[in-house]
Amino acid sequence: MNSETLNTLDTYSKNKYKYGFVTDIDNEKPKKGLNEDTIKFISFKKNEPDWMLEWRLKAFSKWKRMKEPKWANLNFPEIDYQDIYYYSAPKGFEKKPKDLSEVDPKLIETYNKLGIPLEEQKVLAGVAVDVVFDSVSVATTYKGELEKLGIIFCSIGEAIQKHPDLIKKYLGSVIPAGDHSFSALNSAVFTDGSFVYIPEGVKCPMELSTYFRINAENTGQFERTLIIADKGSYVSYLEGCTAPKRDDNQLHAANVELIALEDAEIKYSTVQNWYPGDEDGKGGIYNFVTKRGLCAGKNSKISWTQVETGSAITWKYPSCILKGDNSIGEFYSVAITNNFQQADTGTKMTHIGKNTKSKIISKGISLGKSQNTYRGEVSFLRKADKARNYTQCDSLLVGNKCGAHTVPYIDSKNNTAVIEHEASTSKINEDQLYYCRQRGLSHEEAVSLIVNGFCKQVLQELPMEFAVEAQKLVSISLEGSVG
Amino acid sequence: MNIQDNYQKNKKNIFFSGNKDIQSHREKLINIFETDRFDRKNNESLKNINLKKFIEFKYKYLVPEETSVINNNQDNSYSIVSVNGQCSSFKDDKIEITKILDEDYNDFSKNNTIEKNDHFVNLNSLFLNSGFKIVIKKNNNIKIKISNIVTDDNLTIFQKNNYICEEGSSLSLIEEYENKNNSTSNILNVINLENNSKLNHFLIQDNSSNHNLIITSHSSCKKDSTYTQKVYNFSEGYVRNFHYSELIEINSEADLQGIFFLKDNNTSNNKTFVKHLAEDCKSNQVYKGILNDRAKATYFSNTYVNQVAQKTEGYQLSKGILLSDNASYFSKPELKIYADDVKCSHGSTIGPIDENAVFYLRSRGMSKIAATKILISSFINEELSSINDDLMSETIQKKLVRYLSKVK
Repeated sequence: MNSETLNTLDTYSKNKYKYGFVTDIDNEKPKKGLNEDTIKFISFKKNEPDWMLEWRLKAFSKWKRMKEPKWANLNFPEIDYQDIYYYSAPKGFEKKPKDLSEVDPKLIETYNKLGIPLEEQKVLAGVAVDVVFDSVSVATTYKGELEKLGIIFCSIGEAIQKHPDLIKKYLGSVIPAGDHSFSALNSAVFTDGSFVYIPEGVKCPMELSTYFRINAENTGQFERTLIIADKGSYVSYLEGCTAPKRDDNQLHAANVELIALEDAEIKYSTVQNWYPGDEDGKGGIYNFVTKRGLCAGKNSKISWTQVETGSAITWKYPSCILKGDNSIGEFYSVAITNNFQQADTGTKMTHIGKNTKSKIISKGISLGKSQNTYRGEVSFLRKADKARNYTQCDSLLVGNKCGAHTVPYIDSKNNTAVIEHEASTSKINEDQLYYCRQRGLSHEEAVSLIVNGFCKQVLQELPMEFAVEAQKLVSISLEGSVG
Repeated sequence: MNIQDNYQKNKKNIFFSGNKDIQSHREKLINIFETDRFDRKNNESLKNINLKKFIEFKYKYLVPEETSVINNNQDNSYSIVSVNGQCSSFKDDKIEITKILDEDYNDFSKNNTIEKNDHFVNLNSLFLNSGFKIVIKKNNNIKIKISNIVTDDNLTIFQKNNYICEEGSSLSLIEEYENKNNSTSNILNVINLENNSKLNHFLIQDNSSNHNLIITSHSSCKKDSTYTQKVYNFSEGYVRNFHYSELIEINSEADLQGIFFLKDNNTSNNKTFVKHLAEDCKSNQVYKGILNDRAKATYFSNTYVNQVAQKTEGYQLSKGILLSDNASYFSKPELKIYADDVKCSHGSTIGPIDENAVFYLRSRGMSKIAATKILISSFINEELSSINDDLMSETIQKKLVRYLSKVK
C-alpha cells in the first residue's frame, strides 16, 4: 500500500461521528429489566386494549424459551436484557401535540442539527413525516391530505386504538412472534412505529417517511412497522435513522412487516446511520432488525433498498415471501463498515408462486478493521414453476485489516426455475485509480468517484428525496479517506 | 448400538488401540459425539443424509489376503489393488508403500485443521481399521492406479491413506471405486505436497446403489506445488465428497473439480474448502451436477483468505441441472476474505436445460431426448475433454453413455 493511501486511511480513521450530541429532555421510564410487569407497564402507558396485552404476553412467554440466533458472523458480548429500559417517553407526551409549535423546541433543534428540519422538509420535499423520538410519535404531518385518499398513516399505537381489525388481522402475520428470539422480544415490548394502510386502487401521491431516533441512554428501541397495500395500490416508504453519541451499547430490535395484496406494490427504502461506536470499537448501536415482506396476491411487488453505514452491529435481512403468482421481490443494498463495525446483512427470497421473480444486488465496502458479510438465501419451492432469480453481490476492500465475506444459500426444488448467482471480491482497481489521477483528480476524489460508481446500481433505486441524503452519507462514510 | 459401545466392543480390531496416546485422543472424540449428537440443525453438512445408517452401524471388518503391486518400469506406472483398504508393502527407488503407522495417525488427527465438527472424519479416526502410506521420492515422475475393492457384504471400512510427494516429484494418481456389495467405506486421504511437487488426482466413483462411500481428502501444498483433483461420481449409492485444501506456502495452487450424475433416490453431499494461508496462491473450485428423478445433492464451496495471503486468486463455480420435478439441489458458495489485494469470485447457477437450445436442436430434426442428451454432454464437455489419459477418458465416456441411456 502506498503512503498516500496510508495517509488518507489515517485521516479517515480520525474522522469522528458528526451527529453525536444529546438532547436533554426529561425521560419518564419504568424500571430497568424485562418481566411481565414491564410489558404491562408499556401496555398501560399506551392505553392498549386487553387483547393487545395478551398478544404481548404470549410473545414474551415464547421469548423466554428462545435463544438468540448464533449463526451470524458477528462477535459481541452477551446482551443483558435485564439491564435495559424498555420504555422511554419524553415527559408530557402522553397527550400528543397538535402541531409543531407544541413540540419541545429542543427536539426541533435536534432535527435541525441533523439537517432534516421538519418545517423545511414539509415545505420543500412535500414529505409527510411521522417522527419517532425515542418511543412516542411526536408529529405527524400531511395527515389530512392522506386521509382524503383513505390512506391511513399513523403510529402503530394509534392504529391499535383506531383500527383494531386491521391490526388483529395482519400484525404478526408475516413475522410470527415466535419466529426467532428478536422477533419475540420485539412483539413483547414494541413501543412505537408506523402503520400504513393504502386502500384499494390508491397510488400514494407522496413518499411516506419516518425518522427514528434513539435518544435516551440505555433505551433499546423496539419499533414495529406494518404496511399494508391493498389491491392495486402503490406506496413508497422511507425510513432513516441517526443517533447521538453514546458509550453504552444500545439495543435495537425492530420488526417491519409488509403485505402486498393483488397488483399492489410497496417500495421500502432505508438509510441507516446510527452511531457506529468510536475508533476503538467502543459503544455503538446493536441493530437486530427483522424485515419481511409478503407478496400475498398475484402480480404484487415488494422492493427493499437499503444504505447501511451506521451501527456497531448490523443484523438485518429484509426478505420477501413470493407467494402470489407472478409476484416480484427486489433487494438493493449498500453496506459500508469502518473501524470495528460488523455487518451481517442480506436477504431471503422464498419463491412459492409460479412465475415469481427476484433480483438481489448487494454492494459491501469494508474499511478499517471492520467485518462485512453478505448472507442471502434464495429458495425455490416445488410449485415455483418458471421462477427466476438473479443475484449479484460485490465486495470492495479498503485496507488489509478488514474482512469481506459472502455466504449465499441457494436451494432449488423445481426443475423449471432458474437461479443465477455471482459474486466478486477485490480491492479498488489500480488501473481505474490511475486513469482518474491522470485526468487530474486527487487520490481522494478518485476513490470517491470509483466507490460512487460501485454503489450506483443501488443508489439509483432510492427515491429522489433520499438519494441526495444517501450520497451524502456515502461520501461522509468515506470522508478523510476519499473526500 | 451407540458409538461408545460400538467402539468399546470392537476396540481390539481397531488400529493403534494399544497406543495410550491415541486412545486418549479417541476418548475425546467420543465425548464430542456425546455432546454434539449429530445436531443436524446447526450442521449443514449433514443435510439430506440418512444419519441412522452411519451412526448405528454394525462394525465388521475382514483382514484381506496379501496382494501384489504391479510395476511397469517402462512408463513408470504402478498399479495397486487395495483390498478392504489395505495393500501390501512395496519399495523401489521411486516409491515406497507401507502400512499406516501410529505417528501418521498422530500427525494428522492431533493437528487436525479440518473443521472440528466434521463427524465423519472423527468417525474415521475412531474406528480406523485400514490404510496405507505412499511416498513418492524426490524428482520422480510416476503414475499410479489404485483399484479399491471391498470383498464382502456389510463391511465397515475406515481407511486412512497418506500420500507424500517429495520435492520436485510429479504424480498422476487414478483411483477407482467400483463396488457392488452392501458395504460402507469411510476413507480419509491425507496428502502432503512438498516444494515444487505436483499431483494430478482422479477419482472415479461408480458404486452400486447399496454401497456407501464417504471420502474426505485433506491436502496441504508447500512452495510452488500444485494439487489438482478431479472427481467423477457416477455412483448409484450414497457418496460424500468432502475435500479440503490448504495452501500453506507461497505460489502454490489447488484445483478442486467434480462432476456428479445422480438419479433415482440417490443423494450426494459435496464440499470443497480452500484455505489461502500464503501469498501469491491460486485456487479453483468447480462442481457440476446433473440430477434426475428424486435425486438430492448439496454442494458447499468455501474460500478462506488469510490476512497475509495477498495477491490471492480464488475462483468458485457451481452449476446444476435439474432434469426432474422432484430433484433438488442446494448450493452454498462461500467467501471469507481477510486480505485486500485479492481477486475472488464465485458463480452459481441452477436450472433446467436451456429451452432455446433444445428448440434449436429440435428444429434441426433431432428428437427431444437426443437434444437433451447432447446438451448434457456439452454441459460437462469442458471437464471431460481436459482428461489427457485415453484409457480413462474412454472409461468415463462409457459411464456417461450409461447414465444418459436412463434419461428420458
